[in-house]
Amino acid sequence: MKIRWMILFFPVVSVVIISVLVKEHGANAASPQTVAAPASKSAAVAAASNNSGMLAIPDSTLAINSPKPMSERVVNYEIDAKYDAAKHIVDATEVLTYHNLTGQALDHFPFHLYQNAFQPNSTWIREAKIAGSRDVSYEKWEAKEYGSEEIKSLEVVGQGDLTSQVQYIQPDDGNKDDKTVVDVHLPKAIAPGSYVQFKIAFQTNFPETQARSGWKRDFVLGGQWFPKVGVFWHGAWNCHQYHAFTEFFADFGVYDVKLTLPQFEVVGASGVKIGEVINADNTKTVTYHGDDIHDFAWTASPRYKVKEDGVFQGQMGPVQMRILMQPAHWNQVERHERILRESLEHFESWYGPYPYKTITLVDPEPDSAAGGMEYPTFITGETSWFAPKGFYELELVVEHEFGHQYWYGMVATNEFEDAWMDEGINSYTEVKVLDSILGKKTSIMNLAGVTMGEREEQRLGYIGVADLDPIAEKAYDYYSFNSYGGITYGKTASVLLTLESIIGEDTMAKAMRTYFMKYRFTHPTKEDFLNTIQEVSGKDLKWYFDQAIYGSPVMDYKVLRVESYPVNWYEQKKSAFQKEDKNTVYRSYVWLQRKEDFVMPVDVEINFDDGEKVREHWDGVSRWTRFTYEKKAKVESAEIDPDHKIQIDRTDFNNSYTEEANPKPARKLENYWMFVTQWVAQALAWWAV
Amino acid sequence: MNENEGLLSSGWSRVMRNKRYIFWFYILNVLLAWFGAGAFNNQVHQILDHSLHANRLVNGFDLGVLMETFSRPEFGPKITSAAPAMHFAFFFLLMTALFLPGVLQGYASTYRLPREDFFRACGRNLWRFIRLMIVAGIVMGAVAAALFGLHGVLERKAAESTNELLLPEVQFAGLVVIFLVMTALRIWFDLAQTDVVLSDQRAVRKSIGSGFRHMWRSLGRLLGSYLVTTIVAAIILVAGLWVWMKSVPPDNIVGAVVVSQLILLFLLIPRFWQRGVVVSYYLHNMVEPIAVQPFAPAPVAAPAPTPVIQSTPPETQEA
Repeated sequence: MKIRWMILFFPVVSVVIISVLVKEHGANAASPQTVAAPASKSAAVAAASNNSGMLAIPDSTLAINSPKPMSERVVNYEIDAKYDAAKHIVDATEVLTYHNLTGQALDHFPFHLYQNAFQPNSTWIREAKIAGSRDVSYEKWEAKEYGSEEIKSLEVVGQGDLTSQVQYIQPDDGNKDDKTVVDVHLPKAIAPGSYVQFKIAFQTNFPETQARSGWKRDFVLGGQWFPKVGVFWHGAWNCHQYHAFTEFFADFGVYDVKLTLPQFEVVGASGVKIGEVINADNTKTVTYHGDDIHDFAWTASPRYKVKEDGVFQGQMGPVQMRILMQPAHWNQVERHERILRESLEHFESWYGPYPYKTITLVDPEPDSAAGGMEYPTFITGETSWFAPKGFYELELVVEHEFGHQYWYGMVATNEFEDAWMDEGINSYTEVKVLDSILGKKTSIMNLAGVTMGEREEQRLGYIGVADLDPIAEKAYDYYSFNSYGGITYGKTASVLLTLESIIGEDTMAKAMRTYFMKYRFTHPTKEDFLNTIQEVSGKDLKWYFDQAIYGSPVMDYKVLRVESYPVNWYEQKKSAFQKEDKNTVYRSYVWLQRKEDFVMPVDVEINFDDGEKVREHWDGVSRWTRFTYEKKAKVESAEIDPDHKIQIDRTDFNNSYTEEANPKPARKLENYWMFVTQWVAQALAWWAV
Repeated sequence: MNENEGLLSSGWSRVMRNKRYIFWFYILNVLLAWFGAGAFNNQVHQILDHSLHANRLVNGFDLGVLMETFSRPEFGPKITSAAPAMHFAFFFLLMTALFLPGVLQGYASTYRLPREDFFRACGRNLWRFIRLMIVAGIVMGAVAAALFGLHGVLERKAAESTNELLLPEVQFAGLVVIFLVMTALRIWFDLAQTDVVLSDQRAVRKSIGSGFRHMWRSLGRLLGSYLVTTIVAAIILVAGLWVWMKSVPPDNIVGAVVVSQLILLFLLIPRFWQRGVVVSYYLHNMVEPIAVQPFAPAPVAAPAPTPVIQSTPPETQEA
């Protein structure tokens, strides 16, 4: 081509292309306005999709020890909040970018407004009044218990101000006074694969601490404090009202949070701190960033003492352990750090790597309802100024809450519907980890000769409520708070410990690791968990899961009776004082009974008075069975589950029977009781006469 | 030796001269507790005697097994065990009130009080002691209620503080004050009881008044003596439990019974010591001197030249 033609050709072609592009862009830019009332849904979807082309969820890795994101990031929250420490009020703006990965167009978005639970007619308070709650009995209403979370304005980028579209909904119980969920209808649906951005101004008024959120004295724990979008799960929005027993459910994403608060406050929060600016008005603004997390919590108190020099060398990189302690508990900081470090070691070794760069452990305000809570990379412990070394409550709480970094934080199950999958599985791993660190029979207490193990505590929690609810039940459908606790925590832990006896401890450990590695940064269901165990063990465990997980039958096996008599009894004419002949052959019987409906094969050990031990196996299908022996020895004792692997039997005392009574245990208790009774009588007489 | 030590040593010597009272009260304490513990004993034997699981209680103190025992349906509601024990504890209190006059009479006596005198004192003062117990109950109950109410208010105030240690400090200080005040009240009524018995005072109100005046007048001395004896009781309890824990193997039931019962026997002593202190105080400070007419010899016409036969004055005869 001649050069002069090229000079002419390129400018002409360029002008044509640019004019076409400009026309298309103009059409696109105009489309939201021109499709105010789309003729068809697909047209609106297409329009919205084009409009969101500039949005994205950051693929930052600042807060994780990974070169690339670890989760499928759905949300990006950018929150700029100002906390009024005197009024306990947060005024904030929230920019939420949502990536529609649901595979379908979304024309409405539900949001949680959790703090509205703390109002007299909310579902949370109604349930707590009749079924109990962890912290407050609500016998009378006090103004300081009031909390609220109000959306001041809501705009959807490209769709305008939709504040008027915000409607309270009550998907679970229809309680019109409950304001913990709002739904926002969008004029234009969001196409699959595209983004939408919400700009929300909100105000949160914290109550005095309830359900591990709120203020106490000059302390505050900011948990569940901002409008949080529901999870589109299994083809529908999953955004439950806040219930007295339930916790939370949210999508993974990126959090960028700026907190402005008084300069004297010591702050801790989820994620990593990336900035701090001192403001002219005696405030400061701290900025945090979190990757691959699904919630963001923070705390502030002017009196925290901080230890942050601890670093755990994790499998993916260093993890900074930041510990915020109450001044009066400073002498316990080493205990806190030790159990946190050992928990990290055990979880990494047994289940998988901890990928975050930080873990913040908060020792919350004493006498607050803020202790023992988990948020991503942020947990609260619980202790007091008096914490004897042989009493391991603080270790238990720290380990438990750290465990939630795995079972909730990374394996993000639906806590509203499957509470057992976070609390219960976590209680199971808690038993395993604490057994390993503090000893099987001493992991709760080893003080002045008094001992107690964590697995025993979990079982005791369960057996008191064994026949009330199944494990696989929505958390808000449990009969009472005690039942929720006993079943969700105690029964699940006991069921999984018992499962070890069926598939083997090593196989169970392998299954747990497989489950974690396969489902981390996802929202698995109960079937995902149970199928993983079956796949790893290679066993069909439906019979067990149907009873233990989905049903509520109770297990109670009993040694019903033991009897031995000489085979030739009719020839015996001995007086009572004659010694029995060593060659006498005895016919012995051992009867076992299944008292309740849970059917499970069990082993039995029968001990004879010549020292011989016989192991038998019973499938447990019939209501009772009998074993018969003819030996030159009498049965001395029989014991069901002699290796003590079954944790879900309601009564361990009747699992064995000794032919000869052993009054020693009872006499020991008698002596204690006598001592107490006599001492009380003396004390009474001391003061009253 | 200061006055306080004088009271303590004098009270102690009265206790030591009458050790049998402690022994009998201990027997009463054991017997009543045994009856009270019957329901409990039956229940635990029923659950534990034929179970291998129960062995975990023998070779240590497994709190989990203990809690499981108490949660068994066979064990029944806790009240079925606790109620009889409390009933018999209350019965011990009544028995103490019944036999205490005899003890006080014995402590005041310089000789071994005959059994009939002991029981006579008990019978003669029974109704007076019941009246005293009622008045003491009202006074001590009202004061305790007021003090614990105030304590609660202070606790709530302290709980608002950002200094976490303030609450336990206030709690402890408050309990110390309550203890001191209640001990002072106990001294008051101990003095009244002693006065009732040793003065054979039918008008209980007079003994109450007298007790209050002397308690107020000698509060320092008496409170000091009571504090010492209370500290001794605390030491016996703590040291006894320490010995029990450290030197008795968990499976040694006989050893545990011996040590625990020795603790309880020794724990009775401080309260009897307090009674001895009060009796000593009464004899030195509260006994009203008997007005004796000065001896005025009758005029004698003429002194007899016979030798004088000396006789013992009535005051020096043994009571």
